[in-house]
Amino acid sequence: MELNDIKDAFDRVAKKQKLSCSKTQEVIDLIVQEIEKALETVKSASHLDDKYVLTELKRRLQDIAPLGQLEGTQKELNIALSKYTKILEKSFNPDISKAYRNIEFDTHTVNQIIASHFYRQGLFEVGDCFISETKESECSAAILSIFEDMYQILEAMKSGNLEPALKWAAANSDKLTQNGSDLQLKLHSLQFVEILRKGSREEALKYARANLAPFASNHVNEIQKLMACLIWARKLESCPYPQLVSQTNWVTVAEELTRQFCNLVGQSYESPLSVTIAAGVQALPPLLKFMTVMAGKKQEWQSMKQLPVPVELDKEFQFHSIFVCPVSKEQTSDDNPPMIMSCGHVLCRQSINKMSKNHSRTFKCPYCPSDIDAAQCRQLYF
Amino acid sequence: MEMDSLPNGNSAAASPPQNPTPAAAGGMTPFPKLTQLTEALKLEHQFLRVPFEHYKKTIRTDHRAVEKEITSVISNVADVSDSENFSKDDAVNHLTSLVSRLQGLKRKLEEGSRTEHLQAQKCRARLNHLESADAENLAEWNNTRVKRILVDYMLRMSYYETAEKLAESSNIQDLVDIEVFQEAKKVIDALQNKEVAPALAWCSDNKSRLKKSKSKFEFQLRLQEFIELVRGENNLRAITYARKYLAPWGATHMKELQRVMATLAFKSNTECTTYKALFEPKQWDFLVDQFKQEFCKLYGMTLEPLLNIYLQAGLSALNTPYCYEDDCTKEDPLSQESFRKLASPLPYSKQHHSKLVCYITKELMDTENPPQVLPNGYVYSTKALEEMAKKNNGKITCPRTGLVCNYSDLVKAYIS
Repeated sequence: MELNDIKDAFDRVAKKQKLSCSKTQEVIDLIVQEIEKALETVKSASHLDDKYVLTELKRRLQDIAPLGQLEGTQKELNIALSKYTKILEKSFNPDISKAYRNIEFDTHTVNQIIASHFYRQGLFEVGDCFISETKESECSAAILSIFEDMYQILEAMKSGNLEPALKWAAANSDKLTQNGSDLQLKLHSLQFVEILRKGSREEALKYARANLAPFASNHVNEIQKLMACLIWARKLESCPYPQLVSQTNWVTVAEELTRQFCNLVGQSYESPLSVTIAAGVQALPPLLKFMTVMAGKKQEWQSMKQLPVPVELDKEFQFHSIFVCPVSKEQTSDDNPPMIMSCGHVLCRQSINKMSKNHSRTFKCPYCPSDIDAAQCRQLYF
Repeated sequence: MEMDSLPNGNSAAASPPQNPTPAAAGGMTPFPKLTQLTEALKLEHQFLRVPFEHYKKTIRTDHRAVEKEITSVISNVADVSDSENFSKDDAVNHLTSLVSRLQGLKRKLEEGSRTEHLQAQKCRARLNHLESADAENLAEWNNTRVKRILVDYMLRMSYYETAEKLAESSNIQDLVDIEVFQEAKKVIDALQNKEVAPALAWCSDNKSRLKKSKSKFEFQLRLQEFIELVRGENNLRAITYARKYLAPWGATHMKELQRVMATLAFKSNTECTTYKALFEPKQWDFLVDQFKQEFCKLYGMTLEPLLNIYLQAGLSALNTPYCYEDDCTKEDPLSQESFRKLASPLPYSKQHHSKLVCYITKELMDTENPPQVLPNGYVYSTKALEEMAKKNNGKITCPRTGLVCNYSDLVKAYIS
């Protein structure tokens, strides 16, 4: 999209507006001048001339035709204004509600989703304000307390205090290990490096003995490297393991903590509202394109059971396996599951039934020269 | 359909299958990412349009005020010069008052141009914000977009306090339309208090544009005022009112006019459904909705909150029958009851290409990480199975059925 053209068009509007503004000032000044001149004459001259002066003023003002003078700049301004509106309409999708189905969302449900979103993003004040303004009940109280805990840990981490994080990790150590996360070790390493950074080698060693040793069996390598860092106490920046002592570790560990925390409390890592909106942003362009082509079929659109056009979302929105049979182009289901043929290619059961004339003959795989016996095909579970 | 033939047998197992239509690979290259961003920016019409309409409105109002004042000054001069007898003092006083009037106009004009300047800045800030979106700051930019969409929702639902708080805490005041909605708030508040005056004033402010869009909002307001007169049994006043304000709409809206006039014969406690409805208090809610629609139309906004539009599109694209199974991952918004409720009247998504997600790692199974089949037909990604085999001496345990087999028992599946 050419944003520069749009910017130019707007600059033109702003310029014409300034021009029209100064022209207006000018015209008003002119009128004021004429009136003041007349005023002077009236004040100085004898009574008889007053009438003449005023008639003269009237004539002068008619000659100036102030509104006529303004017309020109005003017209130019209007042209610039309507041009800008047009370029906006041309460069953007002027109506993104074209692919909207006329169904009301339940306000209560939407508000609950929004309140949870605020809390899980750590916007507690906004969330509280929203709850009180919408008079929604405290259904989101549960989520509030969960995320309050999490943000307390994260806030402490931001100010360099790892205590709450370590405490939480220790309390959930079993579950973390079960999920294959070494968050606890990562937190201890951070703490260890921090002690070193402050320069106390002895204290660091003591800390390592107490807290790193229990992880020795599974993470020998990492612990060895950490120990080597002891040599570079006070000059960690020249340590040969910059990735171990880097300050960015704080950010990545905080991320890992968020991920694990959400996981353990049964919440998704990303806000579901953000995910859905992001998916909507990707889905709207193809839907709007379809609506433009199918302008006459608005009625059908309102009742379709499946979107009429394929909408490809990025892989981060792919939560489920979808198998589309390359022969029938249909999505498989429980009634028509995917089947793997002896050559390793996969089709849906209906396609295999069709090509084998209901298991009455072998057929050639559509993707390779193999002969396929339908009886040897196996159902797949993704 | 393109049909690539693959060599069969062992050599096939070693080489990745040739997808007739590479689907998953599309998202990786930077080019589609950029087109995707362009497409996303194209959805932002309202974002630029609303502050511009606001700006335009101020320009127009200011100019109209100037025209009116100048015309009045000129006709004033004409009046004085035409009048027969006036004293010198009269003339002096009159002219002096005209001068100070013009000076007042100039002051007002300066004030107006300050407002215009601020509004122009807002328009520019939005252009710059759109321009600032690129691959590096996309996550943050998207985050701001969610906030903008939420503020829009708050404003349309009249949750002004939250709107302001959210905008302020995220420092996005220039990117949301709080000022524009303050104008609406006055009218809506009044309508909720059963007052039509601010709404009527708004109609006369925007007369020409409402007329252009053939709006009958003013007529609806007038009808309601008439109903209120009938409710108060001020029948004579009601008739006078109708003559003055309802009659002009007769040519285009005779049916509604007749229906409302008939209430004169009934009283506000009538049981006749046609007329009872007109006396219902929810008529006022209807006027509020009507006003919101007119207001959005005037500013070039979508009639629905942006949130609803994006949610609906997003839910339709995410909606698959698999979302409703018990083992649906919690990363899927549709694993949540509230999202399922919103999605229930929406269609399922449609895909033309297979997309397989590994049950264990939740990663996409594509040519780089191809799917492998266990003897029981269950499919997992190569990455997950390799990892498992490495940890367990080449043994694989199916996480869904408990079946144990060797890594060498696996067969690669070719998905096209």
